Amino acid sequence: MYSALNTEPPVEPPPTTAWGVERGEMQDRIDTKRNVRSSRPRKPTKVKMQDVYSFNLEVSREEASIIHQVKERVKEQGRVWWAMEAKNGAGWYLQPEIFAQAEGYFVSSLSLVTMTSTLQLKKLIRSGIPPLLRPRVWSAVSGANKRRSSAPESYYSDLLAAVEGRETPATRQIDHDLGRTFPTHPWIDSADGRAALRRILVAYSFRDSRVGYCQGMNFVAAMLLLVMKKEEDAFWMLAVLVENVLFDDCYSENLYGCHVEQRVFKDLLRKKLPRLAVRLEEIEFDVSLVTTEWFLCLFAKSLPSETTMRVWDVLFNEGASILFIVALAIFKMREEELFAAKHVGEVMKILHDATHGAYDPDELLKVAFEKVGVMSLQSIVKQRKKEQPAVIAELERRGQLNPSDSVQSSSR
Amino acid sequence: MATTGANHMQAKLVLLGDMGAGKSSLALRFVKGQFFDYQESTIGAAFLTQTLAVNETTVKFEIWDTAGQERYHSLAPMYYRGAAAAIIVYDITNSDSFGRAKKWVQELQRQGNPNLVMALAGNKADLSSKRKIEAEEGQSYAEENGLFFMETSAKTSQNVNELFYEIARKLPKAQPAQASGMSLTDGSTSRLGPAKSTCCA
Repeated sequence: MYSALNTEPPVEPPPTTAWGVERGEMQDRIDTKRNVRSSRPRKPTKVKMQDVYSFNLEVSREEASIIHQVKERVKEQGRVWWAMEAKNGAGWYLQPEIFAQAEGYFVSSLSLVTMTSTLQLKKLIRSGIPPLLRPRVWSAVSGANKRRSSAPESYYSDLLAAVEGRETPATRQIDHDLGRTFPTHPWIDSADGRAALRRILVAYSFRDSRVGYCQGMNFVAAMLLLVMKKEEDAFWMLAVLVENVLFDDCYSENLYGCHVEQRVFKDLLRKKLPRLAVRLEEIEFDVSLVTTEWFLCLFAKSLPSETTMRVWDVLFNEGASILFIVALAIFKMREEELFAAKHVGEVMKILHDATHGAYDPDELLKVAFEKVGVMSLQSIVKQRKKEQPAVIAELERRGQLNPSDSVQSSSR
Repeated sequence: MATTGANHMQAKLVLLGDMGAGKSSLALRFVKGQFFDYQESTIGAAFLTQTLAVNETTVKFEIWDTAGQERYHSLAPMYYRGAAAAIIVYDITNSDSFGRAKKWVQELQRQGNPNLVMALAGNKADLSSKRKIEAEEGQSYAEENGLFFMETSAKTSQNVNELFYEIARKLPKAQPAQASGMSLTDGSTSRLGPAKSTCCA
């Protein structure tokens, strides 16, 4: 399945510089100052492999072994789902009344049987949806099926036909980003992959001209294509994601919603990890420096693919509060290390390693659900409302709020 | 452990400019000596570090490479706040990107940090056949606004190291030790780790 690299990756020659000190020499000087006498530790051997969604990885042997364990667990989880199917009937999870989104809202009207199924489904989804079942389960629990059923069957092909050959600022930006979206993924980087990605992003930019195209959506749409396989299904997932699942305005002009999210997150960090929050403020580390990307790409650019998909499993079933819970869990997992950090650069390095190396989804989600604890979607909606005036004031002060923006009317 | 002579300095540097002007490519060329035709789009910002030596001082740049799409503009203050230096990048084959660069210059001037070292980089100098902005135009705009100017190519590495070196050279003169965005420490308290450059793209 994978092979050890026999050769070291090519080492760039140090640039010859007019100012004489080459980078290698610089390093030696620093080492000397730190009194490092022993020979430098050899770089650990790297292993090349592909993950569940065919992303090419170059990882340590330990990480490779985790990825293999995760692949095995995915298969095991598949058997659990098939067993449930045998017990509850095929497609038992497709009945709208059992989705977790329904919980809270209609609890009193749910029968005991339905309630049991809801809880079963929620638990199963939190343990992971097998990749083969993801398209069906996501379409159902996210509300994409419902949304799609209210549009004419030919909606997507009509939309594509209508926008064919049209050029807008959004299409130009999309064209610019196509080759810059997971450029090392074998399918996304293929002619077919880029064409499909272009179609869903362009179609969406016309469907919702207020959002148009926001950088970040390219990575999200690419992941949706990899999971859903069928382009039209991926398009509807993108639509339901932006329009229903995520909070309002997260991709719109000025990223107004994203600013609100950042404030809500900082507030949660102060509540859940107060000691760390104070410490990070002391060293002038603004957590938004790192969390902005997490929220805009829904972790697709920072967590390994299967870990990202496990977060999205919960996202589609339970809503956008999971983004906050997972973000907090990342800080929680590295709390001590982060607390000891003395500088912004160190914090960035710790968080970079914590996310990019999170090959074990269960480890992260265990912290998320057991240590951070669940917070309801409603409580976050409430907190968002509280933070909105401050964001509006801030953007107005900077002259970056377009008067036509109807941000005040946001409901979520 | 005491060290003689050399000082270590940390300087926060922010890269600003239009989408696709080559901000990430410049940063990557400088930090890792690499170039990719398709550089993954930056969302929010990427963080990289690189250390240079200028005379008796080593300067560790902490580079914030920001996203270029217009709507990300509202996030920018978080990255340029307290910066010691800024590189404003445009693409010489794209006149819109030059207009956008001017807006960045104005915004930074409004922030009123007189010690900020600002550089204007006309990138993609290797694509001279597609050139829309003459070097003289960039040069004269830079002179009028008190920036220094270079045409660069992240692809061929033309002027990339020179650009950062010039910034490093201007820093100590431009900025007193106490100013935000930059701190002087002596070798004994330096926390330079074993890795000389990191990349958190």
